[in-house]
Amino acid sequence: MNEAPCIRVVDVHKKFGPLEVLKGVSFDVHRGSVVSMIGASGSGKSTLLRCINYLEVPSAGAIYIEGESLGFQEDAAGRRSARPLRDINRMRRDLGVVFQQYNLWPHMTVLGNIVEAPIRVRGLSRKEAVRVADECLRRVRLSDKAHEYPARLSGGQQQRAAIARALAMRPKVMLFDEPTSSLDPELTDEVLNVMRELAEAGSTMIVVTHEMDFARDVSDRVLFLHDGLIDEEGRPGQVFTAPRSERCRQFLAKYLK
Amino acid sequence: MSEALRQSLDLALFWEYRFVLFGGLLFNAAIFACAAAAALVLGLCAALLRVSLMRPLRWGGTVYVELFRNAPDYVMLVWVHFVLPLLLGLALRTRIEFHPFVSAVVALGLVYSGYFAETFRAGIQAIPKGNIEAGRAVGMSEALILRRITLPQVVWRMLPEALNIFVSLFKATTIVSLIAVPDLMYRVSMVTQQEMRPLPLYTGAALTYFAVILVVATLLRWASERWRRTVLV
Repeated sequence: MNEAPCIRVVDVHKKFGPLEVLKGVSFDVHRGSVVSMIGASGSGKSTLLRCINYLEVPSAGAIYIEGESLGFQEDAAGRRSARPLRDINRMRRDLGVVFQQYNLWPHMTVLGNIVEAPIRVRGLSRKEAVRVADECLRRVRLSDKAHEYPARLSGGQQQRAAIARALAMRPKVMLFDEPTSSLDPELTDEVLNVMRELAEAGSTMIVVTHEMDFARDVSDRVLFLHDGLIDEEGRPGQVFTAPRSERCRQFLAKYLK
Repeated sequence: MSEALRQSLDLALFWEYRFVLFGGLLFNAAIFACAAAAALVLGLCAALLRVSLMRPLRWGGTVYVELFRNAPDYVMLVWVHFVLPLLLGLALRTRIEFHPFVSAVVALGLVYSGYFAETFRAGIQAIPKGNIEAGRAVGMSEALILRRITLPQVVWRMLPEALNIFVSLFKATTIVSLIAVPDLMYRVSMVTQQEMRPLPLYTGAALTYFAVILVVATLLRWASERWRRTVLV
């Protein structure tokens, strides 16, 4: 892994008023790798994921996407200035986000949800966007629901549609924010299976999850967050079987019985 | 049946003047259309001020909404037609007069923009934040999010209330005769002065407004509900 990391997170802090949710987090994500972020509720993992595409603006630190800083630009003399929102929007296209609450646009059909950004943000023709959408819907096994409105779909189907929507932008990295936490247990597998297939196909993914089986079986690396810091990180085999951190050991003990 | 009642219900005279009178109704329709368009645009702008993150803008929006929402239609009409040109004339040091049609559109547009602003605001605030975030996450600009994600859902939510406001606005167009816009009511008054038989003319006008509003509003409500049912939010 000598190439530049796909995503580099450098000493990211995030404060909400007096509350410091992230206290200096750094890690790299290389192309084709799957990084899972685990940790108790309130440990900062969702905030960290949201900082990666600037849905939350970090209070300090930097995010680099393929070497380019997301929040700052540097001129020839090396002076840093805040990036205009237009530039941030351009860079966000390379990061597909899947939310816990799906966040499909309810006034558009599944197909409408998927082609919207490719047409209006990427500038694809409608025909080309529909072709891409069909391919994405096949990947998430939802081709028969293309013309349904989100409200008529089950939670699992909505989440798979949301994954297809993110995939249609052909992002360099997929960010998943607890994608199965709102789902009934019997619907969780259909979403996790789609995510497993994406990982097997070589997608670069950052996944915030409480699904420890998924984190253990699919990830290349696991980060355990505690109190706004990475408390433990390593290959899943090491983190799940021989964690160095006592807090990580306690956390996993609750999940892995 | 008393003579007065018989005369009131004998619409032959109204029918005799139908072309003149229905020509007046077109003025009502034209003022309604222009004022509605103005009210929607101004109302949306005021609503965006009301939900702005910047406090002075929010205050500005609140003052605008309260000012116009609480102004009586008639007072506003007279003020815009007679006082506003004077003030503008003083400021620009020239003589300004508004055509009655323009005054009617401006006055009603302003008053009803206050109502629409509140309906828009409620609609905007009801949209889940996640919808907006999903737009940002795929790199959509704020303007694109407003146009493609927020507004269509706001329209969906506000349609029933907006139709009620449209009905009120159409009814309010009947006061424009007071500044001599030749609408249906104005023409009824003129014909009445000629014929000296007000009862059938005013009854005819009342029935015409009633029929037009009932039919158009019913059709629009039916169409809007049909559309709203196909798109479940």
